[in-house]
Amino acid sequence: MALINIENLKYKYPGTDRLALDGITLSIEKGEFIGICGRNGAGKSTLSQAIIGLVPQFYKGAYGGKVEVDGVNCESRPVIELCEKVGLIFQNPFNQLTGAKETVYGEVAFGLQNLAIERDEMKKRIETVMKQLDIWQYRDRNPFDLSGGQMQRVAIASVLVMEPEVLILDEPTSQLDPQGSEEVFRVVDQLSESGITVIMIEQKLEKLAAYCDRIILMDDGKMVDFDTPEKIFSRADLEELGVQPPVFTRIAKEYGVKNEAGDYPAKLEDTVRLFQEKGVKPVRAARAKAEAAAEVFNIDQMSFSYTEEVQIFNELSLKLDRRATAIIGQNGAGKTTLVRLLKGLLKPAGGNIYYGGEDISGKTVAMLADKVGYVFQNPDDQIFKYNVLDEVMFGPLNIGMAEDKAKEEAVRALAMMGLEGKEDKNPYDLDLNERKMVAIASVIAMNTDVLILDEPTIAQDYRGKKLIGEMIKNLTEQGRLVIAILHDMDFVDEYFDRVIVMAHGEVLCEGSADEVYSMDAELEQARLHKPHMRQLLELLS
Amino acid sequence: MKSISLYKDKGTWLNLMHPYTKLLYIVAAISIPLIGGKLWLFGVLIAASLVLLASGKVLRSAVPLVAFSATLIIVIFLIQGLFNHANAEALFSVGPLTFYKEGVLFACRLGLNILNMLLSFAVFVLTTSPQELVDEMEKNGFSPKFGYIINSVFQILPQMMMTKDTITDAQRSRGLETEGSLGVRMKAFIPLISPVVMSSLVNTRERAIALEVRGFGRKNKKTWLEDRPKHKGDRVIGVILVLLVVLTIAGRVLGWL
Repeated sequence: MALINIENLKYKYPGTDRLALDGITLSIEKGEFIGICGRNGAGKSTLSQAIIGLVPQFYKGAYGGKVEVDGVNCESRPVIELCEKVGLIFQNPFNQLTGAKETVYGEVAFGLQNLAIERDEMKKRIETVMKQLDIWQYRDRNPFDLSGGQMQRVAIASVLVMEPEVLILDEPTSQLDPQGSEEVFRVVDQLSESGITVIMIEQKLEKLAAYCDRIILMDDGKMVDFDTPEKIFSRADLEELGVQPPVFTRIAKEYGVKNEAGDYPAKLEDTVRLFQEKGVKPVRAARAKAEAAAEVFNIDQMSFSYTEEVQIFNELSLKLDRRATAIIGQNGAGKTTLVRLLKGLLKPAGGNIYYGGEDISGKTVAMLADKVGYVFQNPDDQIFKYNVLDEVMFGPLNIGMAEDKAKEEAVRALAMMGLEGKEDKNPYDLDLNERKMVAIASVIAMNTDVLILDEPTIAQDYRGKKLIGEMIKNLTEQGRLVIAILHDMDFVDEYFDRVIVMAHGEVLCEGSADEVYSMDAELEQARLHKPHMRQLLELLS
Repeated sequence: MKSISLYKDKGTWLNLMHPYTKLLYIVAAISIPLIGGKLWLFGVLIAASLVLLASGKVLRSAVPLVAFSATLIIVIFLIQGLFNHANAEALFSVGPLTFYKEGVLFACRLGLNILNMLLSFAVFVLTTSPQELVDEMEKNGFSPKFGYIINSVFQILPQMMMTKDTITDAQRSRGLETEGSLGVRMKAFIPLISPVVMSSLVNTRERAIALEVRGFGRKNKKTWLEDRPKHKGDRVIGVILVLLVVLTIAGRVLGWL
């Protein structure tokens, strides 16, 4: 008998007319590794929350059908009891911490204390799991002092110690840097080996393909398909469903390289093997190298530190021209501090920053507001108006734009970010990915010469990434400088003319994507991986 | 993370002492001079608290607390010394101002009382982990939900303060003036406070889910990682404190004090 049985599951959130889940029927065997993919709003998270009973118990709403885990009805069994069988990890590592424990050890013990596990057993489990997740060394630290990747591993440990039969991971790496993501994927890999049933929602489809036995493809609350990664990613209608196949499947499709079953490969190693067997050598069209245009920023021997003890920048010199520029590096490399200095939110302790030849080291944020736009990572840090149009017009009006002009710019920016028709909506009624687009539009509408984006692709699906990519191209063609901090190497490779690699407050290397991604030593030093396409081509060359 | 808790683990005997013993000390330190009614008793208890703070290596941390109360004590001294309704006997004069004995004595009593309370609380607050106190209370039947609220304040409030700084930066980046005249600040209030409230609500909802999926709120009795061993001095100190209070009551009733 299957471990998870779902029969004709239908669900509607309170106050909505649309079915978030529409007639889902499936079963999952014990020990399977299942992926869920689909565009934003397809119902992936809702489905995962139905398996742990949060839908309908926490969210309420209209519910029909049946979900059972190991014979237990998830609609009626309280979540606080069901959590013995099903564990849930979600995107934001910070919000998964209880906020009531002073140490990592206490944090991991929290669930076990609630389950009334005996002390000796509790300590044994905590030590085993913390060592398995390589966080034993942090046991006496405050969990809020850890990095995102470490925090997410603490969250996973906190659930794993409860020894659930099923572990649900809802985009667990979307807010992590490359190293943090790798840490989490390494753990997930170990878990799948240990026989636990894993259900994982993930936008990084290359990773999903690498680990999953089967993938649930969802769209508009319905289960479109439930099959092997190769079968799912070979579907001709995938892009229409808002899912871009993994890089390996795309290139196999391009060259018509299929496996024996007639599908395209989805994993790196399968793709390499098939290309080698068939003697096909894929070639990547070289991108025209964008020439360095007029200088916009000149950072001249700039120094900065938050505290006397730790210096972030020591006489950093860097010039930025009008090429679309991506800044990449691990958390703590100094990327955000650098762009905050460019925006005037921080002041250099030494040296100068020139913008268009003028020293802006002493200028305030307000003085630079109409020249340098900055989109923060979390859209909820800025949204406060009751409708989208007013929110987007807020910045333009602040910098003295006339109301008609501000409205015109706002409407144009919203269209650019795919939000036409949503002008009158309350931003808080939109999903996170759409709120992010509102935040981007609200800065684009200010019509600044420079646009700085901090992790714009977080929470975005294929369509969202494409919209952001097109926006970057568009603004660059208009002669505006776009600077983005990014962890998504594939996106950087596709849309940016210049890449700057940072580590420990220094620029390790910079150049075009072709140049930077061929600098193996520097990438290793910055602990960054290459885009998936380049990994494949290197293995085949 | 910058903690809002004043607790400092210095590894001293006061850190090891059970929180309830320290709470009993507060009760004794406040009640003894009030019951005894003598001014010198305040001095004794203030001296005792200072000795305890020094032996707990937290005397320096208590200075800001005392400094905070100093303004209040000075104001009381001025008002009572000059204007107390019972003022009759002039004590000293500063220029045109005459301070009276009755008012000054009343101010001394009040000021010493405040200082005594503050220092005895400082002994507790500076040497007791809030989490340890809540854990001990929960073991004795205190509601885990209220316990969670108390504990989480010490962790989540500093995070909210950091969020507030980020929000201020985000709005300044969109040209919002956040500093200047009262009018400018009032105009900035809504754009600054709304995202703080909304992101707190979003975070609270996610955290509620995180707590539920970890079994928080189950009816069964929780288990604990450690039984906090009572410090061997706890019982002796507790008995002495109770005896002192009883002796003071007896002294007052029988007229020794």
